[in-house]
Amino acid sequence: MALLEVHGLRKAFGGLQAVNGCTFNVEQGSITALIGPNGAGKTTVLNLISGILKPDKGRIVFDGHHIQRRPPHQITHRGMNRTFQISLNLEDMTVLENMAVLSPVGGMRGLFRPDISKAERERALELLAFVGIAHLAHEVTRNLSYGQKKLLDFASLLMADPKLILLDEPAGGVNPALLEKIIDRVRQLNDQGITFLIVEHNMEMVMSTCNQVVVMAYGTVIAEGTPQSIQNNQTVLEAYLGKVAS
Amino acid sequence: MTSVPVSAQEQPLVRSKLKSKHSILGLIILLLFLFPLTQLITANNLNYYLHLMLFIFMYIAMASSWNILGGYAGYISLGHNVFFAVGGYFSSYLLLRDGYSPFFTAPIAGFVAMALAFLVGFITLRVRGPAFIISTIALVLVFRIRLDNWERLGGANGLKLPLIDLPVEQIKFPFYYGMLILAIITVYTSYRIRHSKFGLGLRAISQNETKAEASGIPTSFYKIFAFAISGYFVGVAGAMWGYYLTYITPSIFLLILVGAQMVLMCILGGRGTVAGPVIGAIIMIGTNEFFLSEFGSSELNIFGTGAILAAVLLFFPEGIVGSLRKIGRLPAILDWD
Ligand SMILES: Nc1ncnc2c1ncn2[C@@H]1O[C@H](COP(=O)(O)OP(=O)(O)OP(=O)(O)O)[C@@H](O)[C@H]1O
Ligand SMILES: [Mg+2]
Repeated sequence: MALLEVHGLRKAFGGLQAVNGCTFNVEQGSITALIGPNGAGKTTVLNLISGILKPDKGRIVFDGHHIQRRPPHQITHRGMNRTFQISLNLEDMTVLENMAVLSPVGGMRGLFRPDISKAERERALELLAFVGIAHLAHEVTRNLSYGQKKLLDFASLLMADPKLILLDEPAGGVNPALLEKIIDRVRQLNDQGITFLIVEHNMEMVMSTCNQVVVMAYGTVIAEGTPQSIQNNQTVLEAYLGKVAS
Repeated sequence: MTSVPVSAQEQPLVRSKLKSKHSILGLIILLLFLFPLTQLITANNLNYYLHLMLFIFMYIAMASSWNILGGYAGYISLGHNVFFAVGGYFSSYLLLRDGYSPFFTAPIAGFVAMALAFLVGFITLRVRGPAFIISTIALVLVFRIRLDNWERLGGANGLKLPLIDLPVEQIKFPFYYGMLILAIITVYTSYRIRHSKFGLGLRAISQNETKAEASGIPTSFYKIFAFAISGYFVGVAGAMWGYYLTYITPSIFLLILVGAQMVLMCILGGRGTVAGPVIGAIIMIGTNEFFLSEFGSSELNIFGTGAILAAVLLFFPEGIVGSLRKIGRLPAILDWD
């Protein structure tokens, strides 16, 4: 069963057709990779799925609901959460506050309850420990290193108990040890039933972690399948090599 | 895991500190409530001080109210004096027409200001940064032109209001207490918001709106709601202020300077902190008053106040409370965040 269906998605920026009829599914319980050369439109697709951008055309069905016209916060409430290619953090707030922001408020009635409840604090510390940065809980986020911010990004998503997590280049600029850690945590969470859609250039990570691969080029999907089948796909090789050559 | 015993040790210490902080604040408030009564016992005429203090209370309320949107959510409004005017005109009009005391209609005037803020926020909060600031200035100009030409409300000459019927040594009492209570309620509201989910969301918005929205915060709703709340208390203040002055004109409320005053107080004290607007209002009105009494009502007093503001910001770039906190020197009594 598909948790996420993307159908005929189109998005233009001025004259540039960044996403041009993009169609693919993310199966429930899978770790799906979305790969493709730079500028293929991967980040734009994530922005469309998460509601940050509105599609010009096309349909996005998440967990049985059409979400293509929904604002991002409603999509988040439905159980989808994402990281950004360049970490977006609330820089002047503490790590703990960054975690707490992701915790569901619970409608109008929750609006005036304490900003961080005891349960939320405990959950946040647990998740920070899960990625190994619990000691930074009271640090101002601005002071974190690049890699620590990536880990915070990742941990904070879990505050909302999402069904689907979108990651935009989790391995980008990350050292091998940290990458190992991220891969391991993704696997653990996947075992607990969380579905992943991961945009990634690191083929080692894609091949070792993902069980489904979607390849994009020039705004459309050019291939889909298991990592093995993609590795040997002629079109895919050309898309990548063509990019390298030019 | 090692953090557990540490925080357990810290707990009683924090609690006793908190207790003494609360009792000091309680004592200050009690003294403020008792202060005017000394005028009844002694022969001293305190009216000048009562005037000065109720003026400070009013600006504490207005700056704290402004801070809910401008400090927590980071949307700088230079048009909050429109709510001041709306509150003033609403209550004054009802006083003249039906004889209702502004002290009773002030809370309703606040709701009228709030409704206007909802409407304005719905339109203007779609843009941010300089575009938002300019839209709030435009709002002031629109209201100024409208009121200047609204004959029923006295046009540019405004309205004359009846004097409150009290002996001269008590005439400032209702205003003093009204403004004091308003200031306390406003600061308390600001404090509660600062420590709520709503406040957390507003602060997230001020940091990165896309991130806030993606985190599940309905940012449009939060911003409009914050704007409405922050219009409320300014409206209530306007209602009492008009009655206090015994006349209202568009130029009392709708000068850019009046709107800017709230902003400057927050920046001076520490934008986005609970205590900042309080400190900012006290210092700004205090220095202005000092220069006024020294040099009279000349350019020198404006220059003096400006120089103080510039000097303070040179040493406290994030406002007094904000900068002191950053270097860990904020006295516990001012640490309300
Ligand atoms: N907000 C925007 N405004 C204008 N053009 C944009 C915008 N966002 C993306 N684009 C363009 O759309 C195309 C696709 O960009 P996108 O960021 O989706 O690529 P990507 O596949 O994520 O690339 P990368 O692997 O380098 O991150 C690019 O040509 C880019 O310049
Ligand atoms: Mg990208």
